[in-house]
Amino acid sequence: MTARFSRLTRRTALAAGAMTLAMPAVVRAQGEPIRLATLTPLTGAGGPYGPVMAKAAAAVVEEVNKAGGVLGRRVQLVSEDDQTNPEAGVRAARKLIDVDKVAAIMGTWASSVTTAVAPLCWESKTMLCTVSGADSITQLPHQGYLIRTQPNSTLQVRRLGEYILSLGARRVFQMIPQTPFTQSSITLLEAALKKGGGDQGSLIYDDKKPTYRSEVDQALRYNPDLIFAAGYTPDTVVLLKDLFRAGFKGKIIGFAYSINQKLIDQIGQADVVEGVYTFAPSPAADATAYERVKKVVGTDSPDPYTCQVYDHVNLVLMAIAAAKEASGTAIRDTVRKVSQGGGKTIDNAVDGIKAITAGEKVDYVGASGPCDFDEKGDIIDCKFRYEQVKANKLTLLKIA
Amino acid sequence: MSGWANYIVFIIATGGFYALLALSLNLIWGGAGMVNLGLAGFFALGAYASALLTVSAGAPIVAGFVGALVVGAVGGYVVTMSTTRLRGDYLAIVTLGFAETIRLIANNEIWLTRGSDGISGIPGPFRAALGGWFNAAYAAGTVALVVLVWFLLRRLDLSPYGRALRAVREDQQVAQVAGKRILRFKIEAFAISAAIAALAGALYGHFNSYVAPDVFQPLITIYIFLAVAAGGVGRAAGAVLGAYLVIFFLEATRFAAAAIPDLSPVQHAAIREMLVGLALVLVLRWRPQGLLPEHIPPAPRPASTS
Repeated sequence: MTARFSRLTRRTALAAGAMTLAMPAVVRAQGEPIRLATLTPLTGAGGPYGPVMAKAAAAVVEEVNKAGGVLGRRVQLVSEDDQTNPEAGVRAARKLIDVDKVAAIMGTWASSVTTAVAPLCWESKTMLCTVSGADSITQLPHQGYLIRTQPNSTLQVRRLGEYILSLGARRVFQMIPQTPFTQSSITLLEAALKKGGGDQGSLIYDDKKPTYRSEVDQALRYNPDLIFAAGYTPDTVVLLKDLFRAGFKGKIIGFAYSINQKLIDQIGQADVVEGVYTFAPSPAADATAYERVKKVVGTDSPDPYTCQVYDHVNLVLMAIAAAKEASGTAIRDTVRKVSQGGGKTIDNAVDGIKAITAGEKVDYVGASGPCDFDEKGDIIDCKFRYEQVKANKLTLLKIA
Repeated sequence: MSGWANYIVFIIATGGFYALLALSLNLIWGGAGMVNLGLAGFFALGAYASALLTVSAGAPIVAGFVGALVVGAVGGYVVTMSTTRLRGDYLAIVTLGFAETIRLIANNEIWLTRGSDGISGIPGPFRAALGGWFNAAYAAGTVALVVLVWFLLRRLDLSPYGRALRAVREDQQVAQVAGKRILRFKIEAFAISAAIAALAGALYGHFNSYVAPDVFQPLITIYIFLAVAAGGVGRAAGAVLGAYLVIFFLEATRFAAAAIPDLSPVQHAAIREMLVGLALVLVLRWRPQGLLPEHIPPAPRPASTS
């Protein structure tokens, strides 16, 4: 009895031993999650945008996990804060790459942070998806490990110039803080306006000043019929108030990321913002992804950065599914196969992964636009959305 | 090298830049009693000097470092010469303004500094040859430099020159009455301090291969003040310890905050900032002299003549 028992134990032990050896491999294959990261500005100058971006990204990951993950693996999203500071951003990226071993970093916002983080990504073969607008970013030697969903300033400003001319404005004054796209914005808009018989005056201001009276005086001396207010929300609040006080009666246009509902609420006086035009890169009017983002973040007008980071996560997840491998290099090599080139039109990763698993070719049309990239990582073309403030509400004029 | 090891090595190197900045602040604040809120400005001067010399002018990296030291020292000389009558809070405000001026120049003088795009592709010493070991080698070099600067500053502290500097700190009129040329002491101390901060800037640039105006926000000056206050004002070893504690604390709060479940990323970020503030309050409340307080060696007695 005892002998048999002990023999049994030995055999069991052997079997158990063999199983423990065999098991981790199986468990690991199913159990180890695919790790992705967002690196958005949660504090600092980008603080108004980053938190919602992180939330949108987390929502996409949750949806995909509920539907069974990618390649049979769960997706884990790590969110770090870049503090809108390249030094802090690099430290955070180092942690994401070395400790969390993420396959992709998504949502870097400030151009300086993106430029600082990009070398870390391409050296460690990690994919970087960004919303930064500076033209210089896609010129970096990134070997394909970088895509951006924000149209570069050349594309944006050319379209803006055409729209301004279509509004009938000829004398335009541009008021812009110092940013990576300031110089190109001024020269490009001037060129676009002159082509249509218009002209431009411009002024670069300091975006941390508490008042812009002298800047407004200088702008009005030019006698413009339209002012292009190209700042961010906090400085544009002050600028619009000062323009109103100075009695400016012409048209005003600005970026939708700065002239948003938050700005309208902050100003709180309907007269100040009535009639102000906004424009933003946009998906086609019938794009369904934009509706999904609205639901995910719970606002009626999600900002363009939130839409873009939503697209980043969807694209990366579908690229992983198509490559059957969760590495930065795999994402780099396959992202264009799911973002463009025809096939079934897809607006979210859950449907996309299903279609890819079924062997179909997919073409993602996102919340920020069609999301088609050239070989440098820039988007090829996108539509723009033009809105106007009417009775304290942004109303859609057209998408073209 | 990859994984945790690479991350830790990276933090050691970054901590080294912080430590040099802390040594710079300790010399001028702890040693001569002059509050320099413009640390980020001198950090930027060094980073830009070296980046411009190596990238735009094509000079070797060594020349970049030497250039950073010279530009930093000259910057420190100019700031002290233009503020000779200012002391205490007034000097602090002018130095804060100096740092902002440097940042605005870097932002707006696009022909020289490439504006807010920043300067990318700054060469690192032997980066290609070292490959994956670059971070480790650079961290070792940085730590060696920190030890060297610490050693030299300690020698300075113990020398008659250091005693005279402290006399200026305690009461500059008494020092003047005792026949010390206080202006010269102040200028020299400030120039040395600024050169050390500039050296940190050059090291930063060649390590990260990118500098931009955004790097040099006042935030970094605040971190260094936290480091020197925590480590011990007036003691070089305290400054180094404090700098490493600050960087260790900043990174550790990442993992600590992430361990709290059911919080959104922005709440994690807020908790990190709160912890940094809390740490400063606790240090100032319970250990205002710092972890390694200054101890002043007794002056050597003159040999008795009787």
